[in-house]
Amino acid sequence: MPEQPNSPSNKLLGTSDSFRLLVETVKDYAIVMLDPDGYVASWNVGAERIKGYRQDEIVGKHFSCFYPLDAIERGVPQEELEAAAREGRFEDEGWRVRKDGKQFWASVVITALREKDGTLRGFGKVTRDLTERKRTEERLQQQSREIMELSTPVMQVWRGVVVAPLIGSLDSQRTQQFMERLLNRIVETNSPMALVDIMGVPTIDTQTAQHLVETISAVRLLGAQVVLTGVQPAIAQTLVHLGIDLSDITTRSSLAAGLLVALDMLNLQVVAKDLRS
Amino acid sequence: MAHEDISVIRLRDLLLVTVPPDPDDQTISVLQERVLDAMARQDCRGLVLDISTVQILDSFFARTVAETVQMVSLMGGRTVLAGMRASVAITATQLGLTMGKALTALDVDRAFDLLGALPPKGDGYE
Amino acid sequence: MNDIPEGELRIESENDIVAARKVVRRTATAMGFGITDVTRIVTAASELSRNVYQYAHFGTMRWRFLNEEAGVGLELVFEDSGPGISDIGEAMRAGFSTSRGLGLGLPGVKRLMDAMTVQSQVGRGTTVKVRKWLRRSYAAAITSGGDPPQG
Repeated sequence: MPEQPNSPSNKLLGTSDSFRLLVETVKDYAIVMLDPDGYVASWNVGAERIKGYRQDEIVGKHFSCFYPLDAIERGVPQEELEAAAREGRFEDEGWRVRKDGKQFWASVVITALREKDGTLRGFGKVTRDLTERKRTEERLQQQSREIMELSTPVMQVWRGVVVAPLIGSLDSQRTQQFMERLLNRIVETNSPMALVDIMGVPTIDTQTAQHLVETISAVRLLGAQVVLTGVQPAIAQTLVHLGIDLSDITTRSSLAAGLLVALDMLNLQVVAKDLRS
Repeated sequence: MAHEDISVIRLRDLLLVTVPPDPDDQTISVLQERVLDAMARQDCRGLVLDISTVQILDSFFARTVAETVQMVSLMGGRTVLAGMRASVAITATQLGLTMGKALTALDVDRAFDLLGALPPKGDGYE
Repeated sequence: MNDIPEGELRIESENDIVAARKVVRRTATAMGFGITDVTRIVTAASELSRNVYQYAHFGTMRWRFLNEEAGVGLELVFEDSGPGISDIGEAMRAGFSTSRGLGLGLPGVKRLMDAMTVQSQVGRGTTVKVRKWLRRSYAAAITSGGDPPQG
């Protein structure tokens, strides 16, 4: 590739022949040089393979074209360049777009390249296609979700009472799935009382707490009630800090105590047998 | 259009209104009129809104229900929303809708139990 | 997919709000969204098309099937040349007020969908775009699937 000695690509890569050879022939990584404003200055074989553009059609274009439209609208490419310029280096995983419009999951490192006096010379951007790895991760997550579902059933323990013991960490998606399962079960079994036990949940984040509160509200709309049991101190703290009003939620420390409340609300009571006669 | 699909039945001193699956705005408004009409003509102390076939509950529906509940209350009655679907309950909650002071019940049977068990308004209850 | 993957609907009467709900229900169901997600999407469409009718009196709803490496989803765009929203930030913070019946209900709609963008100019009009992605894993999908990008 004949180039002028002062071409942007030359300036950024330097003229060390073996280094240029390395960069240019590496296939599994897209190694791209950007000028200080984000325009593509150099391209390698890996970049063509991963992103789909040929060198002659991409050099001089702005690197934001590799980002999905939503990201461009939110100003993400510019933010990443600014972060790299500030910190020296910016690392991220995210969706990028190929020439044919297809999206892939990428691992990206943007490095700010500076002259000895500190002036910004441009950016080095190394991109790796992690779609395959993400596929595997997704599959594992899905499997673990399925296992979680099997281990958190919603069981009918009496006419009118369902119990849902939650175990493990709750994320937003899991809690939403739980919300759906609980409500469907309440309708199916026609149960006005639902005991939700969170003794086995060590912590929850804001989103999950919100979903939990939503679950309780949604159950009320159905015409049923939730008794929350096993609230650990840490969770109670989180809920209070989030400003969640627990005063209109019936809570008990143990599932057993919750069951008694539920039965009581149904005008039922447990009576010991008289074994004397 | 779907006005004929709203059924308003009086059972002793209670009203049972069955709402169709996907009522348009006009149907919902007519529903409110007919409820108030029936409340005024007869001495009703309770309204059961059967929403067990309702698939969509948007803000207009919720607002109209909340208004109706308030009007029924002013006329001395109580309202119970019966049989809301799970998907509707979840969506309504996430959308941020409230139905005013309406009571809720899993089905029409329980709704009637609820109204039966409550003493008539005006004796200091609530 | 037999149903039309994209199309446009005029919103100029209350009947059109129902029509919008029907077409969105059909499309979302055909795409494989679960019942709760279908309910969310149809409710969002009802709210947004009602906004168009109530504030602008005339507008359009466009729907589009999204098929990207990132996932499969449904996009709805509500556009009008109505009065516009003077303070989008405020609109996004304000919730519903069931007693007074005011407000656009945008925060609630945002909660139902995976992504929402609002563009508006006072006196010129408003465009609201919402998207919902199918919650499917890479392993299960043939075309595509998995958690979508944020946006």
